[in-house]
Amino acid sequence: MTFEKKPDIYSSVQHWMESVNARHRLSDREWEERLAVLWNFCENMGKDPDTIIKEALDERDSKLDYMRHLRRWANDQAKGPQATHELQNVIRSFFINNGARVLTKPYPDVYGRGSS
Amino acid sequence: MEFLEVVGSRRSIRWYKTWQKVPRDKIQRILEVVRLTTCPGNLQPWRAIVVERDELDEQTRDGLLGADNWQGAHTQAPVWIYWYADPDSARPESFQERTIELTDVGALPYAYGWSKEMIEAAIQRGEVVQAGGPAINELIHGMPAEVGAQVAYAETVGACACACLAAVNEGLGTSLHMIAAPSKQNRVKELLGVPERVLPVWVQLVGYPAEDPEAGGQRPRFPFETLFFEGSWGRPFPRDEEVVSQLTKERLLQDPMPKPGRFDELKFLSRMYGYPE
Repeated sequence: MTFEKKPDIYSSVQHWMESVNARHRLSDREWEERLAVLWNFCENMGKDPDTIIKEALDERDSKLDYMRHLRRWANDQAKGPQATHELQNVIRSFFINNGARVLTKPYPDVYGRGSS
Repeated sequence: MEFLEVVGSRRSIRWYKTWQKVPRDKIQRILEVVRLTTCPGNLQPWRAIVVERDELDEQTRDGLLGADNWQGAHTQAPVWIYWYADPDSARPESFQERTIELTDVGALPYAYGWSKEMIEAAIQRGEVVQAGGPAINELIHGMPAEVGAQVAYAETVGACACACLAAVNEGLGTSLHMIAAPSKQNRVKELLGVPERVLPVWVQLVGYPAEDPEAGGQRPRFPFETLFFEGSWGRPFPRDEEVVSQLTKERLLQDPMPKPGRFDELKFLSRMYGYPE
């Protein structure tokens, strides 16, 4: 499926950006990077952002499926655990700010910091 | 730190320095405070298990974190204190034992009618306590058996509040988490070897705050006059602005949240630990 990659035509993307900007005021460049990740994920899912959010909010199983896909997709995209984690966080942020409850965890090395 | 500043500076800290260990003496000092916390009948129903996150094997650590829904603060805090209430501590025989002890050492005065004989008569046989004395026969005989567990639980909650203040007094950050689902409570009990009869109360997280210790300012609270009454329900206890001004100087009352820069701080913390924004 192809879809237009314009943030202003998807209410879920608008809502995400407004919600995050209300707290953190991300720069245009930061948003460009995040949107690129979102478009890439949506393309991989074969669905537009609004459809993904609607399905995730309507059906818990659907949301969990998206999270499973997200882990696999991020593993395929990124190099290294930190980059994988950051990719997933962009999509998790999109879900959370649209009202979908998803599990968040810190970087995998969080326990070991400073212990060496 | 002075008492009022300790109370005024306490926040539920939700971001901890994962890398900074908490010295053992500070944990002991928190526990020593709780040991002396006020408690009816000197029942002392609180029990605690101190867990150092980095001493756990991975399976136990993840089991405990999973039971608390992988909450961020729990993941980061280096020390977890699991607080439990022992209902056996609030059984009539325990109450009898403790109050006789208090009578023997001179805490409960004969002048008010306390004596070993009175306590035994009231608790064992339900005999009415004389006028001027405490109606402990009503406590023990007029209430359902579950009240003991409720008392043990309620008193441990109060002790946890003191534990939080004690942690702040040590320059630490702290917060209380509740593991509510019985299946998760049981999993934690299993992992920590806790007897089945004991009631889970709170998990106290302890560590050095990664966020500013003011954590964005004091949390919104209901207006004073809507909480406290004088003489009768609904008649507000008037709030004297001079007292407010003095308490502000003494740091009980501090800036309300959100203080400037709070959301930038949250953004930084999220990025530092790898959480979504």
